[in-house]
Amino acid sequence: MSKPTDLVQGTLDVLILKTIALEPMHGWGIAQRIKQVSKEVLQVNQGALYPALHRLEQNGWIKAKWGDSDNNRRAKFYSLTPAGREYLEQEQAHWQRLSAAIDLVLEAS
Amino acid sequence: MRWLYKLPLRFRSLFKRGRVEEELSDELRFHLEKLTEENVARGMTAEDARYAALLELGGVDQIKEECRDMRRVSWIENLIQDVRYGLRTLAKNPGFTAVAVLTLALGIGANTAIFSVVYGILLQPLPFRDASRLVLLNETTPLVGNMSVNYPNFLDWRAQSRTFSEMAAVGSVHFNMTGISQPENIGGLAVSPNFLSMVGARPVIGRSFAPDEEKAGTAPVLLVSYALWQSHFGAASRAIGQTIRLDSRTFTIVGVLPPDFRWVEKCDVMVPIGVWATNNSAATNRGERGDLLAVGRLAAGVRIEQARTEIEGITARLAHGYGQVNTRSGVKLQPLRETFSGDVRPALLVLLGAAICVLLVACANVANLFLLRGAVRAKEMALRIAIGASGGRIVRQVLTESFLVALLGGLVGVGLAIAGIPAIARLIPPDTLAGASVGANGAVLLFSAGLVVLSMFVFGLAPALHSASGDIQSELKEGGRTTSAGRRNRWCGFLATSEIALALILLVGAGLMMKSLYRLLSVDYGFRAERVLKMEMSLRTAQYDKAPAVIGLWQQTLDRVRALPGVESAAAGTAIPLTNDHSRLDITVEGMPLLNPGGFPHPDMHTVSRIMRRRSAFAC
Repeated sequence: MSKPTDLVQGTLDVLILKTIALEPMHGWGIAQRIKQVSKEVLQVNQGALYPALHRLEQNGWIKAKWGDSDNNRRAKFYSLTPAGREYLEQEQAHWQRLSAAIDLVLEAS
Repeated sequence: MRWLYKLPLRFRSLFKRGRVEEELSDELRFHLEKLTEENVARGMTAEDARYAALLELGGVDQIKEECRDMRRVSWIENLIQDVRYGLRTLAKNPGFTAVAVLTLALGIGANTAIFSVVYGILLQPLPFRDASRLVLLNETTPLVGNMSVNYPNFLDWRAQSRTFSEMAAVGSVHFNMTGISQPENIGGLAVSPNFLSMVGARPVIGRSFAPDEEKAGTAPVLLVSYALWQSHFGAASRAIGQTIRLDSRTFTIVGVLPPDFRWVEKCDVMVPIGVWATNNSAATNRGERGDLLAVGRLAAGVRIEQARTEIEGITARLAHGYGQVNTRSGVKLQPLRETFSGDVRPALLVLLGAAICVLLVACANVANLFLLRGAVRAKEMALRIAIGASGGRIVRQVLTESFLVALLGGLVGVGLAIAGIPAIARLIPPDTLAGASVGANGAVLLFSAGLVVLSMFVFGLAPALHSASGDIQSELKEGGRTTSAGRRNRWCGFLATSEIALALILLVGAGLMMKSLYRLLSVDYGFRAERVLKMEMSLRTAQYDKAPAVIGLWQQTLDRVRALPGVESAAAGTAIPLTNDHSRLDITVEGMPLLNPGGFPHPDMHTVSRIMRRRSAFAC
């Protein structure tokens, strides 16, 4: 399994952060939500999901708590830390700048 | 702010690994179950659903490994793993481990022991304030070399010098201490009242000397050394004010010296210079010398050469003023530290160098052992590299083993040294030791720790680098070990050669020294010294002031000694050959003019640093 490139990794990070900004979620839930919201376009590489979650946790941007899932099984729920919230805003702005720039380049004839 | 979350995680990753691993498994299992459910909902059978889920998730163990990598404590975990593995490997090869550890223990132990002596005698800072600014002065003549300082000269130096901010006279005195169970011969110093404050030593209890105690005729008071206070006065504070009898004079104790005070000579008691000056013609006579030296503290910013020039200038002026008595004196200035056993410095440094050579030989030996063991483990290393260990990891692991061996060797070595140091310290003559404490103190242990680290690199690096660079293919094949064996043989050859060279240097040096020592011991004294015992007595009390009393006592002593069983003959004399003692008698011949009293009558006569009184005698 190849390691994701930096760009892809950064994008995955911001998607995860945005998803759990609204409510705490476990890994499976995050993957499902992203798929759902992006209308099946973005299918998260599940092998990359958990390393990403753990990396974000070790960096202090998200925190984890064990709780009960919808069918009463134990699952690890992730939520944003205050630093994570700041990081999300930064990355979101960065992404918007980046995509706008790419659009400009692509539309220029 | 993120540290609030990061730290507990690091802590958990280090100390609660089991729990963390469990949680990771649970998390992934949950995901797998959800995937399986989804597949079942799509219509697969339970088995197929699970199989498909596994495929979709990918290698679970690889995901776990990647998550572990994220934990950021991997280097500590790796280190602990290396240490554990290293210990296991060493335990599985007890023969190798024992030989390597013992070899190193010898090297490190020898170095620790010798360094403790070097440190105690040469390096340990003197217990004085700003000891590097203290200078010892003595006078010299072209014939004899070092001489005592003449007291009136000293007073002039002190008055006229600008390069010394303070100066004090220090004289050697000896007393018979009586009035206690067994009379004892003790030694001490007679010092100017400012001596203690100049060197920065304060009495533990009691007082120091007052300025007017410099004058002759001052009341007899003294300071006792800490050791004497403990042994003879039970370290009681009421010792202050008690009296002791020295040489039929009664002295009052006014204070106790600090425990770490030490001087070039043995100092059991300290009296003010005024006591020495009482009834002592050497205190006023420019032609006479007592056993006196001067100690001075250099003024701020002054270098010893400037002080030397100034004192030489003062001495020259004095010589001019006082004529023949001082004409042939020069002056010698030495930093105080050097006078404390400076003359054994070359010998001690040679010993230390030899000990380091021994350590190098030990390291080469152990490096050889490691290299040979590397040959045995080559396959294991090749396999590790093949399944993905980085070269750095292998180097780190072999270095960890080296470190463990070095650490064990160091511990055993230091243990041996600590056991052996008291025996070595007893061999050192007390004059050389000059009150220094030789033991395994902090500085010595630090030195040993440094040696452990250094030797670990010296003998560990080559084998480690070698094992990481093996040719994998040839190692994994059954018989293919030629290339790396060639390089290893070169290393082994180099190490063996160095070992032999170093050992030969040591052997030749030791042999030469032993030969010199043998020659020294075989020198013909000009007399037969076997089965001859000497006994010294100093008769200093008023009872033995006059010659008839002295002669009477000695006669009695000789008679009694001759009567002892086992004594063949006995005789008395004033000086023993081959010792430092001299006595000087003036001979007047009838019909020849009287010599100038107190002058130096004949250029060939030895001037003495210690003039023995006629009352002291020796029996042989």
